[in-house]
Amino acid sequence: MLKSSKRLNQQDKNLKMDNKDFLNPVGKNIPRIDGKGLVTGQTKYTFDMNLPGILVGKMLRSPHPHAKILKIDTSKAEQLPGVKAIITAEDTSKIKFGSNEYFFPHTVDQEALESQKVRYIGDEIGAVAAIDEKTADEAIKLIDVQYEILPAVFDAEEAMKPGAPQVHNHVRNNIGVMLPVNFGNAERGLQESDYVREDVFYCQSAAHACMETHTCVGQWETFSNKITLWISHQAPFKVREALAKCLKMNLNDIRVIKLASGGGFGGKLEMLPMDFSACLLSKKAGGVPVKICYNREEEFSFSRRKHSMIYKLKSGIKKDGTIVAITGEVIADGGAYCSYGPTVLAAATMRIFMVYKIPNLKITAYRIYTNNPVSGAIRGFGGVQSGFSIESHMDLLAQGIGMDPVEFRLKNITEPNMVTTNKMIITSNGLRECIEKATAASGWKQKHGKQQNICRGIGIGIAADVMGSKMYKSHESGGAIIKVEEDCSVYLFTGAADTGQGANTALSQIAAQELGISFKRIKCTAADTEITPFDTGSFASRVTFISGNSALLAARDAKQQILNVVAQEYQCQSEDLDIKAEQVIKKASNSVIISFEKAVELCYSFNYGTQVIGRGSFNPKTTPIDFRTGEGNVSGSYGFEAQIAEVEVNKETGEVKILKIWDAHDVGKAINPQSVKGQIEGSLIMGIGYSLYENLQFKNGRVVNPNFGHYKVPRSVGIPPMESILIETNDPNGPFGAKGMGEAALLPTAAAIANAIEDAVGIRLKELPFTPDKIIKALKGMTK
Amino acid sequence: MTTTLIVNNKKYELNLKGHETLLEVLRDHLGFTGTKSACQEAECGACTVLVDGKSVLSCITLAATLDSQNITTIEGLSQGDNLHPLQEAFLEKGAVQCGFCTPGMILAAQSLLNKNLAPTEEEIKKALDGNLCRCAGYVEIVEAVKSAGQKLKNG
Repeated sequence: MLKSSKRLNQQDKNLKMDNKDFLNPVGKNIPRIDGKGLVTGQTKYTFDMNLPGILVGKMLRSPHPHAKILKIDTSKAEQLPGVKAIITAEDTSKIKFGSNEYFFPHTVDQEALESQKVRYIGDEIGAVAAIDEKTADEAIKLIDVQYEILPAVFDAEEAMKPGAPQVHNHVRNNIGVMLPVNFGNAERGLQESDYVREDVFYCQSAAHACMETHTCVGQWETFSNKITLWISHQAPFKVREALAKCLKMNLNDIRVIKLASGGGFGGKLEMLPMDFSACLLSKKAGGVPVKICYNREEEFSFSRRKHSMIYKLKSGIKKDGTIVAITGEVIADGGAYCSYGPTVLAAATMRIFMVYKIPNLKITAYRIYTNNPVSGAIRGFGGVQSGFSIESHMDLLAQGIGMDPVEFRLKNITEPNMVTTNKMIITSNGLRECIEKATAASGWKQKHGKQQNICRGIGIGIAADVMGSKMYKSHESGGAIIKVEEDCSVYLFTGAADTGQGANTALSQIAAQELGISFKRIKCTAADTEITPFDTGSFASRVTFISGNSALLAARDAKQQILNVVAQEYQCQSEDLDIKAEQVIKKASNSVIISFEKAVELCYSFNYGTQVIGRGSFNPKTTPIDFRTGEGNVSGSYGFEAQIAEVEVNKETGEVKILKIWDAHDVGKAINPQSVKGQIEGSLIMGIGYSLYENLQFKNGRVVNPNFGHYKVPRSVGIPPMESILIETNDPNGPFGAKGMGEAALLPTAAAIANAIEDAVGIRLKELPFTPDKIIKALKGMTK
Repeated sequence: MTTTLIVNNKKYELNLKGHETLLEVLRDHLGFTGTKSACQEAECGACTVLVDGKSVLSCITLAATLDSQNITTIEGLSQGDNLHPLQEAFLEKGAVQCGFCTPGMILAAQSLLNKNLAPTEEEIKKALDGNLCRCAGYVEIVEAVKSAGQKLKNG
């Protein structure tokens, strides 16, 4: 038996954590499990990957927004010394891939390398692998592609008109996805309302702008028929699935390994042509690894982006503030391919039911193909655009009947333990408390409507979020394995992909707590499709809730195996035993039987020889969404928040200064309060960027600001003070009561700021972002 | 052209053509991959290293111009098994999320602390303004720098 207690005590001598915190890690600010590697530069990202003989891959892209591919001649490029492989659609199966295949098979629309047409500037039609970047770039230039240029369309509303250029030949009016959400009788509801108003909101496109650009290394060992793809990603199992489909291979032929990933934010959620190409180039080059790493311009121009949206709303309320009916239309610019379009629309429309009790609702959402770059998933999915639109609209409705916006919301919000109009099952719900706590902390009553003399105002926005979303597959399970070694060190294998949010730490905290051992015993191995169990990925704020539950179940299973051995040895019932803080105890008396170390020693002893391998698989109880109406329970739990912004507007310069933001968040239970706060603030700051300046701009389909000089992201200067208020509602289905919360904090930010701007200077902004020119224009309009 | 680079107190004799950036030399020739890069055009700060204690952007600095100067990368901050106070503080304050900006951020902070061990919040924010963190952990980063400064000041 190897002894580990000494090592255990010496570990983490740099960190001033109390040992008893490690023994009961849930709810404690345990430092990142992978933190030391990150702060010392030892951790390897895909960006840092280098292998013997590694080649540099580059994509061959369309320079045209819309054109027919007539001929691709690679002969000159092939002659160039240093070029090792060139691929085009001729080398592929031409099988199409998409992200919402299960529920929306008609949206599977992208070829790994396009064979017939190009649909946006940057569309991938080939790739080159060469000994260095310069040679690869040169080879790309030597490939002669003949196109027949087709008329293009760049505006979603124009694209819907009869006679507009058709981006996909089989899709009429370019309506790639139409999502009707329809409950009750909205028309009658409007007629029966005391006050009805209409508003139209405009939401711009934006970029993920991850610090680590899209990067992958592919290696195809042809004789053993095995592909390994190292990748900076949020959903390695999804990449594997798409690769297997396009390459007609088995899942176990493909190993996708997520290394440390420099951010994702929704941008690294699907297979891209570059991932496919790295593998296929490697095959063609005889099994030599190929690395493809986007530069910043490629990242901004050719990865994925936020859907720009027009959000039209017409709603009716009673004199007392009760919402009667909401109707609306959403038009989203989807760009050239569908990507995550259907689920973005679903999130942009159905999410309102988690927040408000609405008896009658009719919103129809359209995702329109254009010849712009591809819109896809980005933190909040469509919830940021709908959050701005709906929460601004709510303020205007309240204003219309002279009601305080907070009071108006409190009158209409969802409650704990209810079923929404569209059959979402809400269990824990701290929304009321969130609103009350945020308004109290911000001094709402003393400030709202009372600071116009100094151009200051305060505004609120509220939101809700899912904890996973069963919109991609028949299941959205997470899996985990716990392995207790002979020396009492413990492995947690999880399929979940930590892209920086601290998932490996939180899941290890959950596992250690359930297993009853010190956090320090655990090493977490994650997101390797060959050695960790399946997990759908880091999206929909699902990891703490779903992967967390699987880690908990795996730990419980491992614990049971240990307790079975102890019970047999000590002639008692295993149900009467538990492990707490490294001791096997009798539950009834709390008396210690033996230590965890002794118990493990017993498992591996001559008499028992039992390996301790716990397994956990968790798939939340949900009901499928009927996408013809929007009915169904998409998530196993829902999270809530209220956000309040206080701003000061400079009437001379049009500048908006955010004085402070308060965010009260129903997190169920904070597994790691410090990480939770980091997620809230990080998300919120992204929301501030989107509200005030982030704007991915296009001209004739070309991104015109593909760099940090022209695409402004939040920097350390200008970050306002923020106060996060954590509300713990102990969700009945969450691990230790926890919910996920990676996304919700940016959903209401734009509206809270817009509402605050109106409170400050009386102008209503309906078009994002709130740049000084728009403020000045609106102020001038007011004085006319 | 032979250039002597002193990286993390070790001498490296390099045969450079002259056009190689410091970033390229550190990462590709010497294997100091802790130095990151997210734009290659001096707009993100991820490639920040120290030259004679001052922060420079290695993506726009030619390595050949730094003959015999002291270069510190993130790999050179910790002493043996002991983390540098800034590294410790970044972990304690939760200032690390994806970690990709962290090496550059820590070195930019070190450059500030080399001049001033008790910077104000505004001074820290200003010193780190060229270093982007898309996970947006700025609040914690500022707290960490403040706390590390205090630690270093108190010896």
